[in-house]
Amino acid sequence: MSDHSADYGFLGEEFLTWLWYRMESRGGEFELPGGRMIAVSMDDYLCFAPRDDDDTEHSLRRGIPSRSPEASAALHNGRRLRKAKLIVAESSIEWSLIVDGSSMTLGSIKLPSDSEDLENPEERSRERAGNFLLIQEIIGQLYKIYLEKRLRPEYLGKEVEGQAQWMSTH
Amino acid sequence: MFRCSGSVATYFFAGSMPDVKAESFLDALRAKRFRSIEHSASEETSVGWVTAGDPSGDSFELEDMDLDLGYHLRMRVDKKTLPAVWMGIYRSAAEKSAGRKLSLQEKRDLKQDLMSKLLPKTLPSVRLIDALYTPSRKQILLFASASGVQEQFCKLFFTTFGSNLIAGDPYNLAARLGLGREQSAYLEQVSPVTWPQAKRGSRQVDIADSPQSMSQETATEAAEA
Repeated sequence: MSDHSADYGFLGEEFLTWLWYRMESRGGEFELPGGRMIAVSMDDYLCFAPRDDDDTEHSLRRGIPSRSPEASAALHNGRRLRKAKLIVAESSIEWSLIVDGSSMTLGSIKLPSDSEDLENPEERSRERAGNFLLIQEIIGQLYKIYLEKRLRPEYLGKEVEGQAQWMSTH
Repeated sequence: MFRCSGSVATYFFAGSMPDVKAESFLDALRAKRFRSIEHSASEETSVGWVTAGDPSGDSFELEDMDLDLGYHLRMRVDKKTLPAVWMGIYRSAAEKSAGRKLSLQEKRDLKQDLMSKLLPKTLPSVRLIDALYTPSRKQILLFASASGVQEQFCKLFFTTFGSNLIAGDPYNLAARLGLGREQSAYLEQVSPVTWPQAKRGSRQVDIADSPQSMSQETATEAAEA
C-alpha cells in the first residue's frame, strides 16, 4: 500500500461532487449490493474546496444552498465539494450527517429515532451502534459505486462529459 | 449508552489482534486501564481504558462491551490543570502585598506553591471517548473529531494491542472496499480531474489526469459533442 494517502483528499471531494451531479441528473436513489435501496439528498450545508493554496474555502449554510447562485458559481469555476450535509434514508429510517470528502469522516451524524419497543439503555445502545455502522457502510458503498466508475480509463469520456456540462450549466 | 448523534472517524487496524472473547483481550485492556489522578498534586493527564459499565477502570467485563455487531471500547482522559483564574488572583494578592511586580523566579515559586496547595483539591476534567470495534471488518469507528483525541486513541490502541490504526481516508477506504484488480491498480496513479474554468453556457472542459487520460483537446471535443 502506498504511503501517499494524504494526497488523496481530492478523491473524496470528487466523490461528493459526483454524488451531487448524480442526484440532480438521475435522482437520489441508489441500489446497493443485496438489492438494498437507499435515497440521498443534499441538505442545508455545502462547503467548496479551494482550487489552490491561495484560494478560499466557501461555505454555504441554510436554505437550499445547492440551488444558490453561489453554488452555481463555484461549480462553474471548477470547485469540488469538500463537505456536504446529506440526508440518507433506507426504507423508513433516516440519517442526517456531514460528509467531509477530504478525510471521509462523518460529522454531526443524527441517527434515526430509537425504536419504541426498546426496553432498556443496553438495547438502545445496541440499536444506535448498529445505526452508526449502517450509515458508515452506506457511505462506503456509495463511495464504491463512484470509484467503480472513476477508476476506469473510460471515466474520462462519457462520465466526465456529462458532469462537466452539468457543472457549467448548473 | 451510545449517544444518538456524533462524529465518526473510521480506522482500520493492521496486524493481528487478540480474539475479543479470549482472556488475553481483556488482559490487554486491564494492563492499560485508566488510573485516577483525582488526588494528584501535579498538573498531569491520565489516559486509559474503562468500560461503559465501569467508568473507573477497575473492572473489565466483556458483557459491558458486547453490542452484538461489535464491541464498545471507551477511552477515558482526565486532565488536571491549575485554574488560571486562581493563579491570577493569588499573583495579584502577592504583588499587592509586595508593592511591586513579581520576578520570574517569584512567579515560578508562587505557581509551585499553589499547585501543591490547590491541585489536590482540584477535580480533573474528564472526557470519555467511545469507539466501536468490529473485528470481522478489522475496523474501528472512533467517536471523536478532534485530531488530538484521535492521536491519543491511536497511541493507546497501539500500546495496548501493538497494532497500528490506519485512518480510513479516501485512499485507505478505497483500498478496502473490495475494488477489482484493474481499479485497485488505477488507484495508485489516479490524479485529480481539473474541472472547467467554464462560464455559464460554456462547455469547455480542461482535464488533467493520469497517463490514461485523454488530452485536453479530446476532452473539450467530447464535451462539445
